[in-house]
Amino acid sequence: MDHLIELIPLPYTDAVVALGAAILGITAGVLGAFAVLRGRSLVGDALAHSALPGVAIAFIVTGAKDTGSLLVGAGVAGIVAALLMVGIEQTSRIRPDAAIGVVLSSFFSLGIVLLTYIADLNNASQAGLDTYLFGQAAGLLERDVALMGALSLASLVVVAVLFRPFKVTLFDPSFASSVGLRVRVLEITMTTLIVVAVIVGVRAVGAILMVALLIAPTVAARQLTGRLGRMLVLAGVIGAAVGVSGALVSMRAEVPTGPVIVLVAFGTVLLCLLLAPGRGVLWRAGKLRRDRRRARNEGVLVDLDTAVHAGPPPTERELAQLSGRPRREILRGLRDLHRTGMLERDGDRIFLSGAGAGAAHGVHERRHLWTLWLEHGAELDLPDAREPDPHDLRASLGDEHTERLFALGTWRPPSP
Amino acid sequence: MTVPVALEVRRLTVSYNARPVLWDVDAAFPAAALSAIVGPNGAGKSTLLRAALGLVASDSGQALIQGRPVRSALGRVAYVPQRDAVDWDFPITVREVVEMGRYRQTGWVRRVARSDRMLVEDCLERVGMRPYATRQIGALSGGQRQRVFLARALCQQAPVLVMDEPFAGVDARTEASLLGLLSELRDTEGRSVIVVHHDLATARSAFDWALVLNVRAVACGPVSEALTAATLRRAYGAVTTDAPGEQEDLWTT
Amino acid sequence: MSTDVTIILTAGLVATATGLIGPFLVLRRVALVGDAVSHAVLPGIVMVYLLFQTRAPLAVVVGASLFAVVCVLSIDALKATGLVKSDAAIGLVFPLLFSLGVLGITRYASGIHLDLDSTIYGEIAFAPFRTVSIGGFEIARSIVQLACVSVFNLALITLLWKEIKATTFDPDFSRTIGIRPALLSRLLLIAVAITAVIAFESVGAILVVTMIIVPAATAYLLTDRLWVMVALTVSIGWVSALAGHTGASAIDASIAGAMGLAAACGFALVLLASPRYGLLARAVQRARRRRAIASALESAAPARPVA
Repeated sequence: MDHLIELIPLPYTDAVVALGAAILGITAGVLGAFAVLRGRSLVGDALAHSALPGVAIAFIVTGAKDTGSLLVGAGVAGIVAALLMVGIEQTSRIRPDAAIGVVLSSFFSLGIVLLTYIADLNNASQAGLDTYLFGQAAGLLERDVALMGALSLASLVVVAVLFRPFKVTLFDPSFASSVGLRVRVLEITMTTLIVVAVIVGVRAVGAILMVALLIAPTVAARQLTGRLGRMLVLAGVIGAAVGVSGALVSMRAEVPTGPVIVLVAFGTVLLCLLLAPGRGVLWRAGKLRRDRRRARNEGVLVDLDTAVHAGPPPTERELAQLSGRPRREILRGLRDLHRTGMLERDGDRIFLSGAGAGAAHGVHERRHLWTLWLEHGAELDLPDAREPDPHDLRASLGDEHTERLFALGTWRPPSP
Repeated sequence: MTVPVALEVRRLTVSYNARPVLWDVDAAFPAAALSAIVGPNGAGKSTLLRAALGLVASDSGQALIQGRPVRSALGRVAYVPQRDAVDWDFPITVREVVEMGRYRQTGWVRRVARSDRMLVEDCLERVGMRPYATRQIGALSGGQRQRVFLARALCQQAPVLVMDEPFAGVDARTEASLLGLLSELRDTEGRSVIVVHHDLATARSAFDWALVLNVRAVACGPVSEALTAATLRRAYGAVTTDAPGEQEDLWTT
Repeated sequence: MSTDVTIILTAGLVATATGLIGPFLVLRRVALVGDAVSHAVLPGIVMVYLLFQTRAPLAVVVGASLFAVVCVLSIDALKATGLVKSDAAIGLVFPLLFSLGVLGITRYASGIHLDLDSTIYGEIAFAPFRTVSIGGFEIARSIVQLACVSVFNLALITLLWKEIKATTFDPDFSRTIGIRPALLSRLLLIAVAITAVIAFESVGAILVVTMIIVPAATAYLLTDRLWVMVALTVSIGWVSALAGHTGASAIDASIAGAMGLAAACGFALVLLASPRYGLLARAVQRARRRRAIASALESAAPARPVA
């Protein structure tokens, strides 16, 4: 531990906090995935609230506000809560969110009743039992960080060992049980791992803010990759990065660590949701606009090509009538085509330029190829399950198969 | 005089993730007829209906219902969606589900009128679900559920009825009786019915009109013209065994 | 009005106001929105304090409501991207708002005792002591407030009953008949936000969160009719309030906590003993079926020729 802390180029206390935040981020990132992917993101919320009666009972039993025993109390209560949640879901028609809600409110109510009981004992030291809800990373000691590290390492080892069964259970629980996996046990294990993650985070950022830390890295990582293994690693990395940067900022600005980490985490999620290639909201919106424009321009180009071949060059009005498209679509398409040099105009009349004729020929060829694919695709004997992309069949099938398709198109069965 | 058209799509292009699901599709379905949309999985059959009704955004093209743009004519269509989107544990009875067919006519805030409730009973009767009116929707079999959704659509009294895979996973007896009901609607009330269908045999025997779809509209016309060995081969990519006649011409070498 | 009656009436009205909406949240799988709001209002309280230096109930309720609405609309917007499920959306938004609140307190309001417990997270035991005078009657303020909210919610769900029902059951179909599911969802969420904030101020957060979820989940195990579910939810809430109050005075414990526990016990009882969906009923059904099959096999056995 000491060596690790010395390696970090920061003052001692800062290094301890940074290391703690990194451990916390990795743990929450990796373990949180098992809550988010099962559609039970708010398990962390229920566990956070269920810690209250656990802490209260530990206090009643030991009579002292010792961090260790309180954490044990919170952990045991968390596991009981986790079992109850899984139990309610599996034995009744209550959905996960309501099951989480029922357990959350029951445990917290119990906690409040127990707190009033403790207050009646007139024990002065009970004050602040509920501060675990907030946490303070600045007060982290090396001892705390060592404990967090040990718990985190243990749970990550469990994840590594059970990675495959977990993956199967997450993706298809009924298949998992059909191949002999004990799905219930695995689900309880996953939920228990989340209990561990909450315990790891309680001292540093507080139970409530752990909810976001369990969710944010997975949501962000999911935007960037579709593969579970990579996603877990990425969630761990994002969690660690968010944790360390949040911790450092909060120490500079002398504000509580947890909230800053949550702000950084949310910012990261928002960026990924908006911009991630392939899935981001803005990325998709941009793509959609380009696709639509392309579809429209191609359509108008082909209509114009058809019209030019059928008779004299049309006017805009004639083209609109001929093509059956709304006039606005035609006008916009023509504007775009004009800008890219596909058209020439002679007064009202519209011609295709050389480039335009070439492009129209290209579209015709691609459409012809698609027709050929529909007709002869089954005869192609593709080596794998590749799917054709209608827009660009050549690219998705490969040149060789495209040529064969053309050949098949001209081949006719000899008449008997 | 041209045949009146119930639903028409013009130059419809729809893509998901850059891949066109529908590519410049033109199709028209005649009024007062049973029309089937057939094609392999992923051919865009459901998407065609959803885009035509404005439930998914299209890249280009337009849809017309009885010659009017969809937006102003939604009241003329009753839509029976695929059933997996519904929450079967929802505490709702069969009668309440069918009553939803009258919500558009009832308008916001107001309660469903007595005359409309009579109509609900009538529709339940027609699909044979009157005895089950107070059952919870999840307590029904697949075929019964489909009858309920058909009753809800009937209740909308729309001239055009659009159904997405109504017979998927439904027993043969229910399919036959619902098909009978649909042709009765066509014959006695002149309603137009458009169905996404998976069974080529019944498509040929029970329907008047067919659209063969595989991203492009492969064929669209009267069943005898649209469902030929050649068109089906273009749509499904292989010879379908139940296509009549013609096979020999293609494969005797 | 006696203290006990006031407390029970207050809790019962909380049960009414939340119970009218809770079933729809449970059916829409966003039961935890109440809990989210309970944390998300913090920045509103802090903001009001920083701007106006006041902890007057009205100002605080306005500030808290603002952020409660921001919270539910953000959840709705995140969900609408289709990239985040509703539970993850809830779990991202409320810690963010809560963090903003905590930062606000420590950065600008430290030293001032802005105690969460006593600002918005009210305490039901104090409800009888904060009164207003209406037509010469001294009546607890919380009762007046909660009665108004209850009436509002009742009006909302009776007027929009069929719209809410249709969009909850079958959103796709609703769109084709011209009822916009997104609009109804937002309306419902805003109603929850406002209800929750006003109820927090009277009885504290946890009782409200409990009353939104637990009675509705209990009722869901008892009936297959929507209106019965709503009526049962409200009744279960009242019974929990009554039982909780009795229990609390017997062992001298937190009233809100005891009411929550009473609701939880009710849920456990129903989970076990509900006539249709309870564990016991289903176990009995299973056993009966097994016995029927066994006896059928037995009676069939002699008919078989013995080899």
